[in-house]
Amino acid sequence: MNPLRYILRRVVFGAVVLLAVVTVTFVLSRSLGGNTVVAWLGKAASLHPELAQLYAEKYHLNDPIPVQYYYYIVNLLQGNLGFSPSRGFEPVVEVISQTLPFTLQIAVFAWVTSLVLGVLLGVISAQYHHKPVDTLVRAFYLGGYSSPPFFVALILLIAFAFSFRLLPSGGAYDISLTPPTVITGLPMLDAMIEGNWAYLLSSLQHVILPSVSLALVTFGVLTRVLRSSLLDVMHANYIRTARAKGLDEKTVFFKHALRNAMISVVSISSIMVTWLITGTIFVENIFAYPGMGQYLVTALAGEDYPGILGVTIVFALVIVVTNLIADILYAVVDPQVRLG
Amino acid sequence: MIGGIIAAGLVLVAVIVAVSNLLGIRITPYDPIQQDVGPSLAAPSLLHLMGTDIEGRDVFSRVIVATPNDVAVSLVVVGVALAAGIIIGSVAAFRGGLLDEALMRFTDVVFALPALVIAMVIGVALGPGVRNMMVALMIIWWPPYARLARGEALRVAHQNYIEAARLSGMGTAKILFKHVFRSILVTMLVYATLDIGTVILVYSGLSYLGLSVRPPLPDWGEMVSSYQDYLITAPWLPVFPGLIIAFGVIGFSLLGDGIRDALEAR
Repeated sequence: MNPLRYILRRVVFGAVVLLAVVTVTFVLSRSLGGNTVVAWLGKAASLHPELAQLYAEKYHLNDPIPVQYYYYIVNLLQGNLGFSPSRGFEPVVEVISQTLPFTLQIAVFAWVTSLVLGVLLGVISAQYHHKPVDTLVRAFYLGGYSSPPFFVALILLIAFAFSFRLLPSGGAYDISLTPPTVITGLPMLDAMIEGNWAYLLSSLQHVILPSVSLALVTFGVLTRVLRSSLLDVMHANYIRTARAKGLDEKTVFFKHALRNAMISVVSISSIMVTWLITGTIFVENIFAYPGMGQYLVTALAGEDYPGILGVTIVFALVIVVTNLIADILYAVVDPQVRLG
Repeated sequence: MIGGIIAAGLVLVAVIVAVSNLLGIRITPYDPIQQDVGPSLAAPSLLHLMGTDIEGRDVFSRVIVATPNDVAVSLVVVGVALAAGIIIGSVAAFRGGLLDEALMRFTDVVFALPALVIAMVIGVALGPGVRNMMVALMIIWWPPYARLARGEALRVAHQNYIEAARLSGMGTAKILFKHVFRSILVTMLVYATLDIGTVILVYSGLSYLGLSVRPPLPDWGEMVSSYQDYLITAPWLPVFPGLIIAFGVIGFSLLGDGIRDALEAR
């Protein structure tokens, strides 16, 4: 398939998925206490009938359902996600723009850690397969991906923050430090640009435990797939040819086997990304990290419907976009898609 | 082997607890809801295997009583996904054409939704509770089963005995029921066994978020979240229920791996 057509198809698919998510939240927003205003203002809607009335008129909430659906999407596109009762009626989109950068920080660090750990252990496990090292690695990743993220996070918290006091137990940075001015929106990146090294160092210390917790529950999928595809690839004809050419075992492994096996890694990275992003909900809550996941937990506890629905849509958006990037990457690395 | 024992053990505990609940017999050492059966925040001991919580409730009894929730949710969700997947997948494979295309594109879209988050919002709309979480998970859990079933059914579709059945005048529906479902079931069951652990993980996540049972009723995920406040004074409190979740997931994964290896070796 033409790579451009392939990418275009993935973009259209991503848009359809997003539309599906929005449709789900629309349907659900109508089933919350039978009153759509609740989805935009929370339960407080019943306390302020005149405000609810105003809102209903302004956002066409009393119109026929297709019209409502149309205005619902128009509002979302304009970035209007309602007002968050658990945050003193701050606009949901404001809260999300403050919290999303922190969630992305955790997710990026977790993703890199997971990738390094997953590939490294996958290679080791395949190289020493059916030896004690392989068994040990398998036990490690089975334990990792069988554990709920909140459990792993608690264990790391007890071990590294409370017992050894090596790392901070919560927050995103030492609050006595001045945060950098907003340039890119990502605090760590801004600190780097500004040269605010104290803040950067503190942020790094704070991001280690939450992101490692997440990496520990996600790397296993990668190791497992890489291990089995490496073992498959090593029996392929082109590997025999490479060896017959007289290439040394190192070149055969890294240049021929690993490169091809990595294709399967890219193809499962979308599952990994979904796990990583949804996992932030739990680890942020445990490490009191001020990201979107922690906001979601407080919104759930406070029946803050606008917050819950808004975060759901943004989570879906992040997942769709990262999966799209993974798909494009897949097209780049897999010659079957690239040239086919 | 180990996986089979853990999985069988969990199911057995779940059944015993459920039956004893129906009969009104208490099988746990203490009443799981009653407060002050022991001192507050007691460390694990022979009297209280997993210690006691702030309310003086026996944690071991609470963990045992919560077993049927996770086991029932995971078995029912996987069972429904299996049935729905087999029907959707094999109908798509056998009817082909526009219906196949429509069903599979729909499956793709549902498959791409982030399961935990969508189950969570459905759960919020339905209200908390074990049964509502089960329903929320059922709505989004079937797509991988439909894909797998379609692939398997396509593989079977060109076999001679299916051709023979068709030539002998058997209708599509009858062929599906008599031949196709039966021949793809084994592969599907292996996948389902491996998947039970994943459902336990996601359900415990929903429960952790407070969407399942209402306190004081116990649930593994809920226990971890309500006990994490005592992490410094009584770290074992959240650790035990968390460990049990991991234990159950490992059990079902190993069981699935074992069945798959046994079938591949055959």
